[in-house]
Amino acid sequence: MLKATLLAATALVILPTLAIGQERLPVSGKTCEELTAFYETLPFTDRLPLDAGPVEIDGEVRDITIGFSQTAFNHPWRVSMLESLQAEACRHENVSLIVLDGNVDVAKQNNDIRDLIARGVDAVVMSPVESAALVPAARAVMAEGLPLIVLDRDVPTEKTLFIGQSNVTMGEQVARRMVEDLEGSGKIVVITGLQGSSPAVDRDRGMRNVLADYPEIEVLAVGDGQWIREPAVPIMEDFLTAYPEIDAVFSHAEESSWGAQLAISRAGRCEDGILHYTFDGSNAGFEAVANGTFQADGNYTPFIADVGLRAALYQLMGMEIPEAADYDLPGKTLVLPDSPVVTPENAAEWAGLGWGDFAPTPNPCR
Amino acid sequence: MRSFSFNAGVLGELHKRAGVILALVLLVVVASFLSDRFLTVPNLMNVLRQVSIVGILALGMTFVILTAGIDLSVGSILGLSVVIFAGFVDQTSVPLAIALGLGAGVLVGTVNGLGVAYAGIPPFIMTLGTLSFARGLSFIYTGGTPVPILDEGFFFIGNGSLLGVPIPSIILIVSLFVCAAVLTFTPFGRSIYGLGSNEDAARLSGVPVNRYKVAVYAISGFFAGLAGLVYSSQLSIGTPIAGQGYELDAIAAVVVGGTSLFGGKGSVFGTFIGTLIIGILANILNLNGVDPFVQQLFKGALIVTAVFIMGRSMRAR
Repeated sequence: MLKATLLAATALVILPTLAIGQERLPVSGKTCEELTAFYETLPFTDRLPLDAGPVEIDGEVRDITIGFSQTAFNHPWRVSMLESLQAEACRHENVSLIVLDGNVDVAKQNNDIRDLIARGVDAVVMSPVESAALVPAARAVMAEGLPLIVLDRDVPTEKTLFIGQSNVTMGEQVARRMVEDLEGSGKIVVITGLQGSSPAVDRDRGMRNVLADYPEIEVLAVGDGQWIREPAVPIMEDFLTAYPEIDAVFSHAEESSWGAQLAISRAGRCEDGILHYTFDGSNAGFEAVANGTFQADGNYTPFIADVGLRAALYQLMGMEIPEAADYDLPGKTLVLPDSPVVTPENAAEWAGLGWGDFAPTPNPCR
Repeated sequence: MRSFSFNAGVLGELHKRAGVILALVLLVVVASFLSDRFLTVPNLMNVLRQVSIVGILALGMTFVILTAGIDLSVGSILGLSVVIFAGFVDQTSVPLAIALGLGAGVLVGTVNGLGVAYAGIPPFIMTLGTLSFARGLSFIYTGGTPVPILDEGFFFIGNGSLLGVPIPSIILIVSLFVCAAVLTFTPFGRSIYGLGSNEDAARLSGVPVNRYKVAVYAISGFFAGLAGLVYSSQLSIGTPIAGQGYELDAIAAVVVGGTSLFGGKGSVFGTFIGTLIIGILANILNLNGVDPFVQQLFKGALIVTAVFIMGRSMRAR
């Protein structure tokens, strides 16, 4: 019996390892063939355009290694960002990637970046866990004279380029839509992303910027949904118990909105017509907007890492990065426009252009 | 060997647990003053359902802690079983998916037990290893993307109710009584107390210490799988990050329920009450719209206070 258990345990280890072996790229598990098709659907391929094929530096084609340090791969949004990076890398046969997982730990990510430098990468692309704590790592990269491209969350120090959308203005857009739907007055509850994380802080700030002009909109309570579904359920159940009248749920993540909707259905409050305003921009979320479960979905795209990789390659090839502009932090930025909030009016045209290929949860109220 | 006579009856159980029960009663009284919606049947049913996942984890954890061990891997085992349920339920059948998910829990638990009992790896380290290992398997299996569950019957397990009681709560309460019966009436259950308070003495008196240790970790793994069943069926999604940090919630419930981290003392009833205390605290804070930052202060203070009071009453006896 003991032997059988050990054998089974060994099989559990070996099987997944074998599955990865077949030319599938790490973490995303996709092949270059799949990613090349997917490249066509990315939103920002017209920024810093670069033809497919080998990348020449000083008239010479040599192996180029790019290090990518991601916050963590604990959320499909983060995996989707990597896919956009891998899709770009697949277009250039002499470009390879080293991908590291920061485990949502600033100390780990600091070490990861130093490891990348030690491994002799040609450039570093990073999506920081947190702004300030990654400053020493960013300085180390710049001190080596390597191009440093920062994605999504910025670092307040010298860098080659920062690329990201603004969570504050996106929060404002979604909140403005909510205010319109509520006609300027109503009672709402807020389910935040992980408290203290920068997107949660920024989306909240955006919402409060808008609500400051609408004193008739009352925030009844705030709960920490941690970006996911499970914590949102008990929070929403308790809010529904405490407040007989709730007009809308402003949630920082689609997953938490699903959790809130589940709580609403279990409490028998489907008839209340509680509205959902949410963020993430996944295809499942867009479908939920199209079928009326969500009223608006802040379209915060993860597909910016291909632009980041092209920026690094531009730099290595000695080309100017067009559109790179000075801004209030050291270094330059490439401003990407906010993607429009997805609402019932434009949900059809956005279908399939979000991230993630998983199906939406069935609405428990139907 | 005093602990071999630990199988006291219900009255003795009440007496031993007086501190915890008093705390629960006090909390209920305070809560009902703080919100007029607290003592309503729908709210109490909500609480009972909200605590079911951590409550089930904590039952298994109690077995491990009674042997003076610890199981840090339960949150990750929960996550692994969740993605297995999600992966198989729509492709195959509900019973097969349940069998595989629970089986995975027992398997990882058994590996923990073998490492602790036969390889002599400290429980903290062994289960820290499987915490990471099982989480890694969930990520590899799903590629980091949540797997939706569309099966209606499976959804009913987590969201249905029988005679007005949510099914997850029924699972928790049935598990509670089964665990209590095992701990009170079987030689295995009674020996666990002896094993926890003095392993050498237990071994000398003929208790198959190693096999029993493997069993308690397998039990903990099983309950982690069962909690995963409740999780995935409630939320109809298999997300690879399910249950992150739950091991600490489970340990907190066990400790607040009066089970000693040094082994040999405690009960699953205490754990159940500890689970309720933590659950009611979260509920009443939400009902009163207390800021999430401040909620963490209350939870932390509750755990430390509970253990402080318990420690004093233990010494006084």
